Amino acid sequence: MSVHQSTVRALAVACAALVVAGCTSATEAGSSGDGEPGKDTTTVGFIMVGPKDDFGYNQAVYEGSQAVEAAFPDLEVLTAENVPEDDTAATTMQQMIDEGAELIFATSYGHLDAALSVAEENPDVVVVQQGNTITDDIPENSGTYFGTVYEPMYLAGIAAGTATESDKLGYVYAFPIPQTIANINAFERGAQSVNPDVETITVSTSSWCDPGKQQAAAESLLDEGVDVLTQHQDCTSTVIQAAEKSGAMTVGYHADASEIAPEGWLTGAVWDWGPVYTDIVQTVVDGDFVGSAYNDNFRVGYKTGTNPFVLAPYGPGVSEETITAIETAQEWLGTEEGSPFAGPVLDQDGEVRVEEGGVPTYADNDVMDYFVQGVIGNLAQ
Amino acid sequence: MTAVVADPEAEQTPAPLLSRALPVVMRWVGTLAVALVVFSVLLLLKGASPVTAYTGIWESTFLRSRSLQEIVVQMTPLVLGALAVAVPARAGLTNVGGEGQIIMGGVGACGAFLFVGETAAPGLLLVAMLVSAMVAGAVWAGIAAAMRLVAGVNEAISTLLLNFVALDVLLFLIYQPWRESPVGQPATVELVDAAKLPFVAATRINVGIVLALVLAVVVYLALSRTRWGYKISVAGGNAEAARRAGLNVRLLVLSALMIGGALAGIAGMIQFAGVEYKLRPSFGYQLGYTSFLACWLARHQPFPILVAAFVFAALSVSGDSLQLDAGVPAASIHVLTAFILIAVLGFTASRRKAAA
Repeated sequence: MSVHQSTVRALAVACAALVVAGCTSATEAGSSGDGEPGKDTTTVGFIMVGPKDDFGYNQAVYEGSQAVEAAFPDLEVLTAENVPEDDTAATTMQQMIDEGAELIFATSYGHLDAALSVAEENPDVVVVQQGNTITDDIPENSGTYFGTVYEPMYLAGIAAGTATESDKLGYVYAFPIPQTIANINAFERGAQSVNPDVETITVSTSSWCDPGKQQAAAESLLDEGVDVLTQHQDCTSTVIQAAEKSGAMTVGYHADASEIAPEGWLTGAVWDWGPVYTDIVQTVVDGDFVGSAYNDNFRVGYKTGTNPFVLAPYGPGVSEETITAIETAQEWLGTEEGSPFAGPVLDQDGEVRVEEGGVPTYADNDVMDYFVQGVIGNLAQ
Repeated sequence: MTAVVADPEAEQTPAPLLSRALPVVMRWVGTLAVALVVFSVLLLLKGASPVTAYTGIWESTFLRSRSLQEIVVQMTPLVLGALAVAVPARAGLTNVGGEGQIIMGGVGACGAFLFVGETAAPGLLLVAMLVSAMVAGAVWAGIAAAMRLVAGVNEAISTLLLNFVALDVLLFLIYQPWRESPVGQPATVELVDAAKLPFVAATRINVGIVLALVLAVVVYLALSRTRWGYKISVAGGNAEAARRAGLNVRLLVLSALMIGGALAGIAGMIQFAGVEYKLRPSFGYQLGYTSFLACWLARHQPFPILVAAFVFAALSVSGDSLQLDAGVPAASIHVLTAFILIAVLGFTASRRKAAA
């Protein structure tokens, strides 16, 4: 009996949903661009791929959003965590727009497709994306922004290259995207600058945050004799704890996690998004977004201003001497001829990628697709 | 609806529809209310107001056309994924492999798209993708069926483990042969317009829902009205008796699991060609497991599956509101989902006990 009752109910609900959905959509009005997208917006939205307390990437984003809230007390700041890198991201952004947001920060690399589709459908809304690169024409209401993460990773590589005794560094990463490849290469080259024999062994997890895979990757690296571990993951505590437990040293990423690795913490590259976010919000609220530096693939580093990536406090194992070397290198990175990839740069096969004396631009580094000599790992994996 | 009218038992109980449906609806509402009340306690502990949270969910999920459409879009693969559990369940089999079969469906559809190419006639291209997805899903489930028939491996284990293999197949393909560009996050090229499922009228709902509803009716009829449906339920009830009665139990097991796989494959094709348009590392993530829950919530019955899929899709869409309006962590929606599951399952269990 209940079969028929539930049958009727099921069909009725499904039909009702279809009918309601079909009818009401006709009432939606399309909007057109007015040339000043996002001007005077009252609400700003942030979507994050992971939880806002992950000791990493998303926590840094969340703290940045808090800085925006503090700087603009009248603005409502919406945050959504655990937003996957697929079409559901577009749904979440659309929900934020329905709640009045005219500026959205899509903060994970893989949010770009969804960000661009939302921007296209909502010409009055600015959607900026963190970390990816728009390769086609950049729409009037969109853009990407990021820091040159690989610069501080080069400096952290100096600390790692000095500290290692096995001359083997380990790198747990998520996806072989240019940003990550540049980080790994810069880390290895920073280490090479003080220790020519050092190599960096890489393992990919195909996920921004999968503690199970992170644990397995960290263990296999430690088994290989690696004594300094670093990573490009969104949530960072698993790898750091694995290193600390086995007595290995750690270079952190995204957030200062020295408290969970009091012994082995060397340093790390950590975010300070507040100033960049605040400036983007100000630009959009003023109606000046179109044609601004953010209506582009905006990159900021030691050469061009305040890198939102800063070096974390040093751990007990880093000597005064090393700190001085790092400071000197940082100054050099800020000069015209300074770069983690100042030529000559050879790739894994020994092919010359940057000629002697060559200094690649930030834009060049954004499309890096090879590992340098000294990095162990297959990019296609 | 004809299935309902033609039902012989329905003719025996000619009570008016409304008076018959009302108590059932009231019971469901009561059950959901219990879950919501318990969840309110959690919200209060998190410092959020249940009133704000529930009005927020109501307004942003059920009063907005866009959200309603999103629910329909999200329930589509869940309906098919749950049917993929329901058919083998009738034969006494536990298909936990929806996750992998959905992935293989997406892979099959993408393979057909890349092989046939964008030059094919649009309709033909979609048909090729659909058929390829069904075959891929069926073969993936067929592996588990073969392992059971040949080596006696429990299909609940093998279908589950094959999910991880399917994910590795997907990752291999999108990292290497099918990769859009050597730099950037691994993904396939975006489908051309001719390979995307069309939308229903002026909505953002792809036609997949129509296919899902039709297939729910077809599965209902196949299970309740065909000789095959009867045979698999006999085989599922008592395989030994079925064998002695002359039924080919091996073939029935194989067919039930493979048809389940084909249904999951269709879910993968619809998610790919109707929603995502690209295969990414997270393709189909959790769809199979959510479908599995939806099927159990609906006690493996095709039409209640529609309701269960709707409920899960609505919960997923409300997750956004719970974060944006009530400011509670994203994971709380999973807690609410669990409360609802426990309430409904506890409720049906107590009813069955009372009836016994």
